[in-house]
Amino acid sequence: MTDLRLDARELLPPEPMQRVMAALPTLGPEDVLTLLLYREPFPLYAALEQRGFTWRTTLADDGTYTIEVRRR
Amino acid sequence: MSAALSFEQAPPLSVPHRFFLTGPLFGVAAGVLVALRGDEVVLSRWSMATFAAVHLVTVGFMLQVMCGALMQFLPVAAGANVWRPRLVAGVVHPSLTLGAVALTAGFLGAGADAMRAAVVLLGAGLTAFVAVTGLGLARSPAIGPTLLLLRSAVAALAVTAGLGVALAAIFAWGAALPLVQLVHLHAAWGLGGWALLLVIAVALLVVPMFQLTPPYPVRFSRGLGLAVAGALAAWTVGVVLDVAALDVVATSFGVGALGAFAVKTLHLQSKRRRKVLDTTVFAWRVGLGCLLVAGAALVALRLPLPALARARLEYLLGVALVAGAFPAMMAGMLYKIVGFIEWLHLQRVMAVPPTMQKVLPDARARWQWRVFTGAVLLLVGGALWPPLARLGGLGFAAACVILELHLISATRLYLRLSAAAALETPATP
Repeated sequence: MTDLRLDARELLPPEPMQRVMAALPTLGPEDVLTLLLYREPFPLYAALEQRGFTWRTTLADDGTYTIEVRRR
Repeated sequence: MSAALSFEQAPPLSVPHRFFLTGPLFGVAAGVLVALRGDEVVLSRWSMATFAAVHLVTVGFMLQVMCGALMQFLPVAAGANVWRPRLVAGVVHPSLTLGAVALTAGFLGAGADAMRAAVVLLGAGLTAFVAVTGLGLARSPAIGPTLLLLRSAVAALAVTAGLGVALAAIFAWGAALPLVQLVHLHAAWGLGGWALLLVIAVALLVVPMFQLTPPYPVRFSRGLGLAVAGALAAWTVGVVLDVAALDVVATSFGVGALGAFAVKTLHLQSKRRRKVLDTTVFAWRVGLGCLLVAGAALVALRLPLPALARARLEYLLGVALVAGAFPAMMAGMLYKIVGFIEWLHLQRVMAVPPTMQKVLPDARARWQWRVFTGAVLLLVGGALWPPLARLGGLGFAAACVILELHLISATRLYLRLSAAAALETPATP
């Protein structure tokens, strides 16, 4: 199992989305991709759904969203 | 296609663009009206010329831009899909456009029939808009504070529209309703509720995203929403039951909320990691500065003042909010949003779409911002020397003409590139 961490809080759109898309094919069945953002990425959710991934989102008090992405 | 980006949730480009391209035209009309009848506007917030000028901006310009932006924004910011956006835009856009024309005509002496038409058109258009966006927001899976603010904003729009219809009924059918109290409530719910809450909700997303600032803390954002709601509730009960003490509560919460939002946003912008200082930042600064001026005017109006000073302060408050704060932030965001949306759609059909900067270069936004800021300063100066308001009106009209021309230019670029891309794509057998 590998944990990939992508801190995209300081990236301008659409780079966060592009980086996640590039990382998805490398995820193994047990791997987790952890994405950090300052917004909830609904366009990304739609793309994850289509590609067979699940995700869990939490929000910290400082306004950081943590999205954990796994294969379904 | 670049990185196979998925934006199926985004509505067709024509949905937001029809609103964006219409709004500035009403801004031009508002500016021309102030240039022609600025003395009446400075003299009293109760003159028909003032009502017309204010509604040309709030209903004609702001409401158009806000409705178009919200239809684009909801799926992206809140995962709230708008039901059949093309159909909804096809109903809401002409209703708001013709409704704003009828309302203005009614204020400027076209008679009760114009007001009746405005009631029907704006009532129908806003009912459809509130129903569709409200349903989308009710089903939203979002977990952040943006959702609370968006829901509150749309609820405030519904209240504003209901109060507006009641007011128009006074002009249209001679309804026996308390005009002054209704105007106080309508203005508070429209500017302090719908407009302020929506701007805050949008800021929570776009300020950190496009300017690379730290985020707004969650408790701060929720606190803003609650403070605005508290201010509106206290104001409403105070006006309806005639309880003067509640005015202090409403002013404290309202001014506290808009002041905190303005100061916090300026503070976040001072910590931005994107060192390129584009015009959107300047536009926000003008808008936030105007919010602070409005807050100071709201407090000053609670002091015992001579009638002339009170009238001038009311004019200043109106200029700060209606001509300054909201149009400044909206124009600044339009330059970003339109560039981003066009890029979004073009990357579906082109291998290398033009960057946002190519669609709407910052130099153009800077040019518009300079004219706009000059106009706002002249309008503010009108509080001290009324003839300046007429010049400010001309400047405001000019700024809206420039904005319109830039939006048309960006739209033409999009149409040209998408048509060229369609020609290059081999036909599927």
